[in-house]
Amino acid sequence: MEVKILSAKFDIEDSHLLKTAEQHGAYSTLDKLFSMKPADVIEEVKNSGLRGRGGAGFPAGIKWSFLPKDLDRPVYLAVNSDESEPATFKDRYILVRDPHMLIEGIIICSYAIGCHVSYIYIRGEYTSQVRILQQAIDEAYEAGYLGENVAGKGFSLDVTVHRGAGAYICGEETALLESIEGKKGQPRSKPPFPAVVGLYDCPTIINNVQSIASLPFIIENGADAYKAYGTEKSSGTHLFGISGHVEKPGLYELPLGLPLMEVIEKVAGGVWKNRKLKGVIPGGSSTPVLTVDEAKTVTLDYESMAEHKTMFGSGGIVVLDETVDMVKLVENLIDFYHHESCGQCTPCREGLGWMLKIVKKLIAGDGSMSDIDLLVELCDNIEMKTVCVLSAACTMPVRSYLNKFRHEFEAYAKDKGSPHNDLGKE
Amino acid sequence: MAEMVKLFVNGQEVEVEAGKNLIDAVGAVGIEIPHFCYHPALGADGNCRMCLVGIEDGRPPLVPACKTPAQEGMKVRLDTDYIKKIQRDILEFELINHPVDCPVCDQAGECTLQDYYMTYSLEDSRMQVPQVTKGKKMDFGCGVIHDQERCVLCGRCVRFTRQITKTGELGIVNRTDAARVNIFPGKPLDNRYALNIVDICPVGAMTSEDFRFKQRAWFLKRDEGICHGCSRGCNIYIDHHREKYKDDIIYRYRARTNLLVNGYFICDEGRLSYRLENDNRQTETLVSTNKVSFDEGIKAVLDTLRAANKVLMLVSPDCTLEQMWAVKSIAALFGAALSGYSAAYIKDGDGDDYLICDDKAANRKGLELLQINTDRATFESDLNETDLFINFDNDLFFTPCNDPLKPLLESKRSIAICSRKLPVFSTASIVLPTASYTEYGGSVINENGVLQRFSKAVSKNVEGHDILEITRLLGGPVIDAERAWLEIRETVPILADVQPEHIPAEGLTLTTSEDDHVGS
Repeated sequence: MEVKILSAKFDIEDSHLLKTAEQHGAYSTLDKLFSMKPADVIEEVKNSGLRGRGGAGFPAGIKWSFLPKDLDRPVYLAVNSDESEPATFKDRYILVRDPHMLIEGIIICSYAIGCHVSYIYIRGEYTSQVRILQQAIDEAYEAGYLGENVAGKGFSLDVTVHRGAGAYICGEETALLESIEGKKGQPRSKPPFPAVVGLYDCPTIINNVQSIASLPFIIENGADAYKAYGTEKSSGTHLFGISGHVEKPGLYELPLGLPLMEVIEKVAGGVWKNRKLKGVIPGGSSTPVLTVDEAKTVTLDYESMAEHKTMFGSGGIVVLDETVDMVKLVENLIDFYHHESCGQCTPCREGLGWMLKIVKKLIAGDGSMSDIDLLVELCDNIEMKTVCVLSAACTMPVRSYLNKFRHEFEAYAKDKGSPHNDLGKE
Repeated sequence: MAEMVKLFVNGQEVEVEAGKNLIDAVGAVGIEIPHFCYHPALGADGNCRMCLVGIEDGRPPLVPACKTPAQEGMKVRLDTDYIKKIQRDILEFELINHPVDCPVCDQAGECTLQDYYMTYSLEDSRMQVPQVTKGKKMDFGCGVIHDQERCVLCGRCVRFTRQITKTGELGIVNRTDAARVNIFPGKPLDNRYALNIVDICPVGAMTSEDFRFKQRAWFLKRDEGICHGCSRGCNIYIDHHREKYKDDIIYRYRARTNLLVNGYFICDEGRLSYRLENDNRQTETLVSTNKVSFDEGIKAVLDTLRAANKVLMLVSPDCTLEQMWAVKSIAALFGAALSGYSAAYIKDGDGDDYLICDDKAANRKGLELLQINTDRATFESDLNETDLFINFDNDLFFTPCNDPLKPLLESKRSIAICSRKLPVFSTASIVLPTASYTEYGGSVINENGVLQRFSKAVSKNVEGHDILEITRLLGGPVIDAERAWLEIRETVPILADVQPEHIPAEGLTLTTSEDDHVGS
């Protein structure tokens, strides 16, 4: 099932070094790239059907075409490497195992959109990753792949690594821009969108690491070669981080469109310890949970996920076995999003803390049935009333647990907190 | 005239100014869109989410009104159950961690949160878990006291220090519901406009050390006035109250919006200058240090005046145009020399590039227009020759520049007509109390030539007489302000067409450019 497009060099020793990377084809697309017109590059990416791999799945080529024409100001590219969504661990592999693929992608994107200054926003916790990435950038500068004359083609491009300080919200694209500008990482109101008013008030394209890293393959082999993978509307491959209660957790590159259960069983070795499956988080903690029945019918593509009222997200699949206490999972989930709320706008700032306290009250045995109803209502009251979607990243999954596993919450309310599920005890 | 567009609010067609955001645009025609964080001087931030409105046929379905420009044909919805529920929900979020200590909160009665709760919510609290606790009674400096628990994190105060004073003392620290407004350690507020933060705070989070616990807002009578602290002529609210058995006391000044003069703010010095109206006031009539009735005082002044050979009258640059005219008229009547010498009112270098002026006189332009001599040399030589010096409330010792004149002044027989007990008036043989600017009405012209009118706000138990009235009692020809204006219009070309009762609320810019008078 596994394919090797993005991960082609992952298992090669010293693949992060320029010499090794070059031996395996790094920067080989640049001749072809600079023989193309920027508009043709955008067209090729549009045709490939590449969608944003950060979670939202917006078509990358179309995003680029939102840039205003005939600009008198610079265009910036910001590569989102904040990778802060819990259960997501795909971009870090690219940063460490094939950073030159990312740099090559940055060159391709920058050429296409006319950008000469690009930023890689990397989460602060990625300390070893940032070291390896910076080493790769330094090597690329030395070899002339970056700088005033990229690959001798007369195109100038600088790449700067900007380290975050550990805030989840800085993965939100406008908070990321604020953070690069040296301000407190808080999302901006949209419109205007970054493609029009972005970094330093200039048009800015923000793409996820994996989206950018997918570009060399598309330029080298053409849109059709990329579309040969995946489904009609969800083309290409994706790095899936499979974690939780499976026998073989890890990162797997798979074409889009595979049945989820098949992937869990054949790729990840199935639910561990011969336990029963209870649910699956399909794409990082912010995506609504799937029940066993739903997991059996869903496929790993944007459309099927939407049909199941959840999201493809970041490809961070978490398998939950029968021992999982969904109420405590929700407590953990809200705790995270409450902690990471930037505190800027009212519903998220005040509401998530309230929800957390209510769940804690339930777990402590002091809750009642009306608390469960209140939780559901608060999800509605917070969601979509905020500046950004952080609150929705919390309320959407929480609502799914409340709806699909309501009996577990009710058990806490009725039994006054006595553990309702002893299967987890060994 | 600004371009107008027609749009619909709750199905009703209204005509509003194009380009303004919805809060301001429909607010101008009397339709309130509730909001905390938006302030016209500070721009839209969009953090409070209280102004979310629905735009029919629009995408996205829910927009913050503060960030949405009014457009032709727009169909704005405030009255749907959905929007009303959002307003209730946002208020619930604002209130869950709010102490609701209205009974002991200074803001009560003029609190946006309180008002909105009464208008848009009235729901019972559903908060049954412990509240977030934060800092109380924090001294932020400059007389600003902060209560973090009452704060709705609208950030107006933070934006004020960043955008208006550009001093940036405040910030919001921490995230999530631990977010709070704070100063940097050891770096309190340090600017001359800090108390505006108390005005712009929509809730009781920022209170004035000076005002807090002195009065409940609903007891205060709010009158409009003009600050006399300097020649800017900032527009103010005079908040005053007469407690039972006590006098009419001013408790605070607050900024009153006038985009032509002061914008939305005033300086702290001006704000606190209300104290001068309450304290150290001259209320007694004195003849040779003996207390007498006011009528006896007037008689004593008249007797002295008639006996004098060479009289010098000095008028204050704080006087209104009407008062100046009245003093000018009585000086002419008695053949007295008249001066408006007031160099002491200028504090060189004290002004800034915002509101504060070097010149602390409220109506120096008035002296110029009425051609009252302000020259020092003339004043000094007239003073040398005079055998009676009558000072109409001019504080010659406001700054030390006239200290060398002290011996000469003290050697002269003098009459003080004054509103305050000041050293300059202490050697007068006759002292007549007079009203101060919150106790009379009139017209003043600010540094930029904006003519403004103000009315009497405060009525003291023992009312001081307006200087104009005092000149009338002394036999002067100006019997009232109307008469003064009649004569002023005849004498001063630039004021020839001014109808005092028709001076616009924001004032009238007097044009002195040559071009404006060509052909007239």
